[in-house]
Amino acid sequence: MTALPVSVITGFLGSGKTTLLSRLLRDPAFERTAVIINEFGAVGLDHLLVESSDEQILTLEGGCVCCTVRGDLVRTAGDLLARRASGSIPPFERIVIETTGLADPAPIVHALMTDRDIADALRLESVIATVDAVTGAGTLDAHPESVKQAALADRIIITKTDLADPAANGLAERLQALNPAAPKLTAVHGAVDATRLFQGAYDPARYNPALYESPAHRHCGINTFCLRRERPLHAATLSLFLQVAAEHCGAKLLRLKGLVDVVESPGRPAVIHGVQHVFHPPAWLDAWPDEERSTRIVVISQGLDAQWLQDLLEVLDDEVKACSIS
Amino acid sequence: MACVLSGALRLWDVAGTVEHDDEQPGGFVLAVRGTEMRIVARAPHGWLIVRGGETFGVHAGLPGLLRQLREELAPHAKVGRLIIGAQSLL
Repeated sequence: MTALPVSVITGFLGSGKTTLLSRLLRDPAFERTAVIINEFGAVGLDHLLVESSDEQILTLEGGCVCCTVRGDLVRTAGDLLARRASGSIPPFERIVIETTGLADPAPIVHALMTDRDIADALRLESVIATVDAVTGAGTLDAHPESVKQAALADRIIITKTDLADPAANGLAERLQALNPAAPKLTAVHGAVDATRLFQGAYDPARYNPALYESPAHRHCGINTFCLRRERPLHAATLSLFLQVAAEHCGAKLLRLKGLVDVVESPGRPAVIHGVQHVFHPPAWLDAWPDEERSTRIVVISQGLDAQWLQDLLEVLDDEVKACSIS
Repeated sequence: MACVLSGALRLWDVAGTVEHDDEQPGGFVLAVRGTEMRIVARAPHGWLIVRGGETFGVHAGLPGLLRQLREELAPHAKVGRLIIGAQSLL
C-alpha cells in the first residue's frame, strides 16, 4: 500500500491558516484532498469558511489537537482512511490537518509518525507555518507557541504581505534567523504557489552548511546550527548519538535533520529526520545529492550547545572505533 | 571527553566542575556540591565511576556513564526516550 501524504498547517491565531487552506482547496491540483480541521472551542466555525465538499472535511472540536484531542486526531485520520478504502467518500490523495492557532505542532507530528494504526498508511509530507506580516513580529515576541510553530516548519508562509512588508519591518530577517532552511513564501489572500508547499520533508538544499554559519541564529531562545564532520561515522555511532541526544536533550531538541556519511555505506549517505525525540527510520540515498561528501546534521533547538553535540559525536565515534578494534 | 562531561552538567543545570585526574591517566574528577567523583578509564574500553574510593558504576561506554551521572546528580532532569517511527522518510 502506498502511504498517503499528510501535511500539517499550523500558525498563530489569525495568521491566515484557514484562508490559505480555502484557497488551496480551490486549486484543481488539490481537489482530491481530505481536510481535518481542529477548532478550539465548543462550536467550530473554521470549517464553515473552507470551501470544499463537506464529506471530506472533518472537524475536531473542544480542544487543541496537540493535547486534548490527539487521540481524536488519530481516530479521525483512521476513519478517513477506512471510508476511503470502502469507497464511501471520493478517493482523496492527500490529507491536510489544520491545527488551532495555539497548537504545538510537535505532538501532532509524533502522533502521525508513531501511531501504529495510521503510521503505515500515512507519510508526513510537510509542516507549513503561516506568519502574519502585519502582527507576526509582535506575536513572536509575545507567544512562544508561534516561535515553535515557525521553528518546526518545513515551509513558512508569510501572509498579508499586501498590508505590510516583512523585509521592512524585520519579520523576514527574524524568520530567517529562526529557521534558515525553511523556504519563505508569501501569500496575499491565501494565494501561494501550491506546488512549492508540498514538496516533501526531505530537501537536499536544506543541508547546505552555509545557511547556518551566521552567529545570529539565536532567536527567542531558539538556536539553529549545523554539526559537520569530514570523516565518515560508524552506523553504531549514529544510533548512539541519537539515543543520547533524545535522552538528555529532551524537548530542547526541537528538530534534527541530517545527511550522514556512514562507514558501512560508502557513497550512500543516510538521511535522518526527527522532531524532538521521535525520528523517521533512517533512509538511504543512492548517491550524494550535491558536491559535498561529508556529514551535515542540522539542529533547531531551545538553547542546546552546538559544541557539546559536536564533541558528543566525536567521543562516541572514538568509543565505537575502539570497541571494534579491541 | 571533559567537554562532554562539563556540557552535560550544564544541560542538567548542575553547578560543578570537571578536571583531568592527575592520579588516573585518561580519567576525570567531577566536583559537584562539595562531593568529588572520579571517572576512571577502564581497559580495554569503558568507564568506572568511583566515589570515596568505592566503585559504584561500571559502563561499557559514554551513554551508560552519562545516564548514571544524570540519575545521581540531576534526578529531576527531564528524560527523553528515542522513538523510531514507522514511516519512511523518502
